[in-house]
Amino acid sequence: MTTLRLPDRAPHPAPPAGGEIMQVRNLTKSFGGRTVLDGVDFTLSRGSVVAFLGANGSGKSTTLKCVMGLETPESGSITLEGTDLSTLRGTELVRARSGVAMVFQKIHLVPRRTALENVCAGALGRLRGPASVSPMFFSRELKEEAMAALARVGMADRAHEKAGRLSGGQAQRVAVARALCQRASVLLADEPVSALDPRAAEEVMALLAELAHAENLAVAAVLHQPDLALRHADTVIGLVDGRIEYSGDISGLDASMQARLYTPNRAAA
Amino acid sequence: MSTPVPTLSVPPVPRAGWRIASILAAIAVFIVLHVFALRGTDFEVSALVTGAEGMASFLADAFPPDLDWESVLAPALKATTVTLWIGLLGTTLSIPTALLLAVFASRTTTPHRVVYQLSRAILSFFRAVPDIVFALIFVTAVGLGPFAGVLALICHNTGVMGKLWAESMEETDAGPQQALATAGASRLQQVTHAALPMALGQFVGLLLYRFDVNVRSSLVLGLVGAGGIGLLINQSIKSFRFDAMATQIVVVLVLIILVDQLSSFIRRRLEV
Repeated sequence: MTTLRLPDRAPHPAPPAGGEIMQVRNLTKSFGGRTVLDGVDFTLSRGSVVAFLGANGSGKSTTLKCVMGLETPESGSITLEGTDLSTLRGTELVRARSGVAMVFQKIHLVPRRTALENVCAGALGRLRGPASVSPMFFSRELKEEAMAALARVGMADRAHEKAGRLSGGQAQRVAVARALCQRASVLLADEPVSALDPRAAEEVMALLAELAHAENLAVAAVLHQPDLALRHADTVIGLVDGRIEYSGDISGLDASMQARLYTPNRAAA
Repeated sequence: MSTPVPTLSVPPVPRAGWRIASILAAIAVFIVLHVFALRGTDFEVSALVTGAEGMASFLADAFPPDLDWESVLAPALKATTVTLWIGLLGTTLSIPTALLLAVFASRTTTPHRVVYQLSRAILSFFRAVPDIVFALIFVTAVGLGPFAGVLALICHNTGVMGKLWAESMEETDAGPQQALATAGASRLQQVTHAALPMALGQFVGLLLYRFDVNVRSSLVLGLVGAGGIGLLINQSIKSFRFDAMATQIVVVLVLIILVDQLSSFIRRRLEV
């Protein structure tokens, strides 16, 4: 029987003793009669990285999209800092959701805008009025905050570079800086490294883990690489056919658990 | 002896007969439509042959072109400049209206379904009415001259450019807009910080194309009294001064080439 060697743990400091910030309970969702989420429960805590693992179609991305409001769950509750988001409407909901930032697989920067302008755009949720419609009117304070965010992700020297000229890894770092400029306390990353080469993927995951621990952020990342989860995450949620198969410490993500998460066509098996 | 190359019988194409019948039917419809079109437009090659004499007489009158500076060339250059200004103003002054209607008429940026339908209807109206009809209306309203031509182009160009811009916004990647929406950006902020910058390259390209078209359109508008070189060409034809008309057409040709080259140069510089 072949065994998988666990990759070495990245040298992250121990996560701070952070409190729970988001509770997701009994999330269900179906598309065209096919259940894609079936009673998903999990909790995100400050200063901690949760990796969502599972085969394609297991419900990882849909979970994050439901939390972000990009998909509407059929049932379940999402509580952010003690507030049930389903009880909020309009601007209250937008304001509450601005505490949750998202990093996308396709990065979604505006290529014609500079890295600095893209990062400033993360603050749009708290800017209002005519001065917020163009980067020309961004305040010096906002630009300085954005520069600090860029420096935090190691991209300060590329501040005035057009986003379209950055490499995939650099652009994803800028997207993380945009999330920091949003001042969010929860960072959801939907396959943040799927489009990156192994080295850039390692760097971006290390950055997310470092930010979670140092800035006390709650980070949830959908990953397709168990070794990255083992190196950088604190806990793992493994999904199979929309149900949680495993939830716990990374030490439980051994070879047999990985095999269970990635068994093809489990429903038919 | 070489190893035989493996082969596999090709499965029959599903519904192949139906596909061939569809293609033949489409060709038949195409031919029938053209027969009706040829009859409806009195299209006769023989008329070209019989009219060759008239054409030769016209060319004999037109060449050599009259290059008299005082009476032909200077007025032609002056009127061509007016034509250029009509095309320029007709394009640039339609930007605000075209942009507003494009944002409202694009599925990715419209604030409401009703606004979307209404904006589409307005754009369709401005696009459906030809610029020459607008010119006739404005000549009646504000009198003969280039101002009527500018107004006519503003109206028609709003319709065309608004639709082209709306479609280009719908075709661009909506991801950045979605990313800003998740960050709490308002609808207006999503438009100004994502949708518009994402489509900016195409916007500039289409704007330059429309400028090119509008300069040529403003020539025709002159024929109905909306000023510019078109008006002079019309006067030359009516007074049988075909040699003067030939000079005016050469001046127009130079203008069109210059505008085309300028447009290409700007597009290359902006990488659009």
